[in-house]
Amino acid sequence: MKKIIALALAAVLFSVTLTGCSSNTAGNNGNSNAPKPSDTLIYAQGAEPRGLDPALVDDGESAKVMSNIYEGLLKYNKDSTKVEPSLAKSWDVSTDGLTYTFHLQEGVKFQDGTDFNADAVKFNIDRQLPPKVTEDMAYASFVYGSVKSVEVVDKNTVKINLTAPSTPFLSNLAMIMAAPIVSPKALQDNKNNVNQAPVGTGPYKFVKWDKDQDIVLVRNDAYWGTKALTKNVIFKFIKDNSARVVALNNGEADIIDGIDATVVKQITDAGNKIFQAPGMNINYMAYNTSRKPFNDQKVRVAVSQAINVPELVQSLYKGYSEPANSILPTFMEGYDKSISQVAYDSTAAAKTLKDAGVTSLHMIAYTNPRPYNAATGQVLAEAIQGYLAKVGVKVTIDSFDWTTYKQKVKAGDYDIAFYGWIGDNGDPDNFMYLLSIDDPTMNIARYKNPQFNDLIAKGLKTAAGADRNAVYTQLEKIAAADAAWLPISHAQTLCAYRPGVQNFYFHMTGITPFAGVSKK
Amino acid sequence: MLKYIIKRILMLIPVLIGVSIIVFLIMRVFSPDPAPIVLGQHATQEAQEAWRQAIGLNDPIYLQYWHYLKGALTGDLGTSYYTKIPVVKEIMARFPATIELAVVAIILASLFGILIGVVSAVKKNSIFDNAGMLLALIGVSMPIFWLGILLIILFSGTLHWLPSNGRIDPLLQPAHVTGFYLIDSLIAGDSGDFVDALRHLVLPAAALAMYSMAIITRMTRSSMLDTLGQDFIRTARAKGIAEGRVIFRHALRNGLIPIVTVIGLQLGSLLGGAVLTETVFSWPGIGAYTVTCILKSDFPVVQGVVLLVAAIFVLMNLIVDVIYAFLDPRIKYAKKEV
Repeated sequence: MKKIIALALAAVLFSVTLTGCSSNTAGNNGNSNAPKPSDTLIYAQGAEPRGLDPALVDDGESAKVMSNIYEGLLKYNKDSTKVEPSLAKSWDVSTDGLTYTFHLQEGVKFQDGTDFNADAVKFNIDRQLPPKVTEDMAYASFVYGSVKSVEVVDKNTVKINLTAPSTPFLSNLAMIMAAPIVSPKALQDNKNNVNQAPVGTGPYKFVKWDKDQDIVLVRNDAYWGTKALTKNVIFKFIKDNSARVVALNNGEADIIDGIDATVVKQITDAGNKIFQAPGMNINYMAYNTSRKPFNDQKVRVAVSQAINVPELVQSLYKGYSEPANSILPTFMEGYDKSISQVAYDSTAAAKTLKDAGVTSLHMIAYTNPRPYNAATGQVLAEAIQGYLAKVGVKVTIDSFDWTTYKQKVKAGDYDIAFYGWIGDNGDPDNFMYLLSIDDPTMNIARYKNPQFNDLIAKGLKTAAGADRNAVYTQLEKIAAADAAWLPISHAQTLCAYRPGVQNFYFHMTGITPFAGVSKK
Repeated sequence: MLKYIIKRILMLIPVLIGVSIIVFLIMRVFSPDPAPIVLGQHATQEAQEAWRQAIGLNDPIYLQYWHYLKGALTGDLGTSYYTKIPVVKEIMARFPATIELAVVAIILASLFGILIGVVSAVKKNSIFDNAGMLLALIGVSMPIFWLGILLIILFSGTLHWLPSNGRIDPLLQPAHVTGFYLIDSLIAGDSGDFVDALRHLVLPAAALAMYSMAIITRMTRSSMLDTLGQDFIRTARAKGIAEGRVIFRHALRNGLIPIVTVIGLQLGSLLGGAVLTETVFSWPGIGAYTVTCILKSDFPVVQGVVLLVAAIFVLMNLIVDVIYAFLDPRIKYAKKEV
C-alpha cells in the first residue's frame, strides 16, 4: 500500500512538474495572443522611452512614440531629410538669413482642445531659450542655439530672429527632439514637464503608460489633417531580442525593431517581412593626425589603401550595412556620385608604408555594439589588423567598454581609433562639421584644416540649394583626399512586420509615424 | 515574542543606515558620471557642470549623504535623474509586479520542492529519488534565461498556448487598487482580466520557480533523511501510526525548520527582483529596471531599490524566525535566550 501511494505521488509530481506550466491553460487556446483585430497596431521596441516631453528627452525610443503624438512647424519628406510644411504651411527667410517668418496652419487644435497658434509656438521656443531653459533640455541648444528671439506677428504668423545665419535651422525645426509643439496648457498644468502627460497636435492621443510594459495611443478624431487609419497604436517594450522575435512570429506584435542579420531567416520563415532602409549614420576609422606617423597624409592614404572596405563590410555586416563611399549618407543633400574614397591597392600601400618605415601601429576600439556598428569596434579593429598584417604592419589593439573608451579617445594616446556618428537633423553640416571642431571627443582624428573650416562656415550661411550642396561635396572631396578618416559603412535600419501590415516605414531620422499604416 | 519582534524591527534602522552608506559610496565611486548620460551628447562641459551643481553632486559626499538621509526619513528618496520622476513613484510602479511574480513562484517552488523532497527521502535510492535529484540538479544548473527562452519557444512560439511577454493585454485596463493584477481583477470581478493576467504569469513563474524548487527539494530531502533516522520516528512506527502520518506529521514537521529558512531566503531574493526572468519575459518588475538604472548612473533610484531590498531581507529573516517558534515549541524568543 505504502509503495503504491508513493508511486502514485511520484508519478503525479513528475508529470505535473514537467507539464505543469501548461496544464491549467490548454483550454484557453488562442484567447489574447491570437492576432489582434485590425484596429490595433502593436509595435515592439527594445527599451522603454525616457519620457514624452520633446524638450526633456534625447533617446530614440522616445522619438518613435512622440512622432505620433506631436508635430513641429516642419516635417521631413518620407524618403529623405528634405523639409516639408507641417504646422507651418509656408515660410519666408529674409535675405540676410537672420529672420524666419512662419505662416501657420489655421484651425489646428491641440489634443486637449486648446488652440494651436503663434502664441503656442512662442511659448514652446521660449521655454528652451535663456533664461527659462534648464540644463536637462538635451536638444535645446542644438535646435534653438541660434535663436535670438521669437515674435508673435498675428494669431497665425510667427517671426523667429537668429543671432547669425544658420541654414540648418530649418532642418532643426523638423526634428522630433526639442522642435515639436506641445500644448502650453499641458505644460502649465504639469509643471513644465509633460514626460508623463504628452499633449500635441498629432494624429494620435496619449492614453496610458504602464511602466516597463507599454504605451497606448488612440486615434485623434479631431486631427486637422488626414486622420489615422488604425484606431489604437501600442508600443510594447520587450528587452530580449529573441523574445521580441517570438512575439512577432507569435502574433503578439505586428512590428518589431532592433533586429540583426542572425534572425532574419527565422522571421521570414515564419511568413513575416523585413523592412530594410538606409540609416542616417556613419561608421568610421580615424587616424590620429596630431602625431607621427599619421601627421603625414601619405601614410594615412597608404593605410586606407591597404583595406578592402567593400569586402570588409560584406563579411562583417552580411549585407545589412552599405560600404561607405562618402561621409554623408547617400540620401542627404550635398552627397554627390563623384565623391570617392582611397581605392584598395595593397601593393602600393605596402610600398609606401615600407618607405615611410611604418611597421607597427596602436589601435583602440570599443567592445559594445553601436547603432552604426553592430559588430563592435573590436571586431572591426581585428579585421583591419588582418589587412594591415598583409602589408607588413603589426597592429596592437586595446579594447574598452564604451564609457572607458570615450575617456581613452579624449586622452588621445592612439594611432587609430574607431567611432561613428548618428545624424541629428538630416543637414549635411551635422556630419561634416565633425572634422572642423576643436573638441577631441568629437573630432577624434584631431584634424585641423583652415580651408575646411572656412568651407564649413560658408555652408552654414549659404541658403539651401545647389550652391550650398556644392560646398558639402567639396568638403567631402577634401576629406577624402586628406584621408583623416576611412569611412567604413552606413548601417541600415532593420525592422520586421507581419504580412498584413501595410505602408509601415521607419524614417532615417529614427521616427515611426503610424498615421498611414494599416493592418489587414 | 512581541518584544522580540519589536526589537528585531528596530534593528532595521542600523542595517538600513549601513546599507545606505555603502550603496551611496559605491555608486559615487564606481559609477560613471551621470551628467553626460542625463544631458545627452550635445551637452557642453559648462552645462554638465551646472547640472552637477544644481543636483548637489558637487557638494562634499558627507553633505550629500546628509541631504539624502534627511529626505529618506520623510519618505522622500529623491528624484530619478533620468526620468525626473520621484523614486518612490518609480519603485511603486514596478514593485507589485515583482511581488506578484515572486509569491506565485515561491508557492510553486515550495509545493513541488517539498513534495519531491519528501518522496525522494522516503524512497531513498529508488528510481523516484534519482529522478527527483536529477530534476533538482537540472533546476540548479540550468541558466534561468535559457530555460525562459525554451519555455517561450515551446509554449508561445510553437504551441501558441501562452503569451510570451508582459503582465496583461495592453488594451485591458484592470482598475489599479493594489497593483497586483490577479487581486485587482478579482476585486473588480472581471474574470477575463484575471484569466489574462494568470496566463501571462504562468511561464515567468514556472521559469523562476525552477531554481528555488531545486534548492528546496534538496534541502527537504536531506532534512527528511536526518529526521527519518531518528529514534522518535522508529517509536512512532512501532506504535503503529500510519506511515503517511509518520512522514508528514512527525518527520516533515520536525524537518521543516531548515526548509522554511531556505524558502524565506529564496523569497527574499526573488522579491529583490529576478533580473534575468524579468528581461526574458518583459516582466515589468524591479530587477531589470534596477539594472537599467545602474547602467545609467541613476543614483537615487539604485539607492532606493537597494534600501528596499535590504529591508525585505531583514523582514524575511524575522518572519522565518517567528515561524520557527510555531514549528518548534522548544524555540522561544524570551529575553534571556536572545
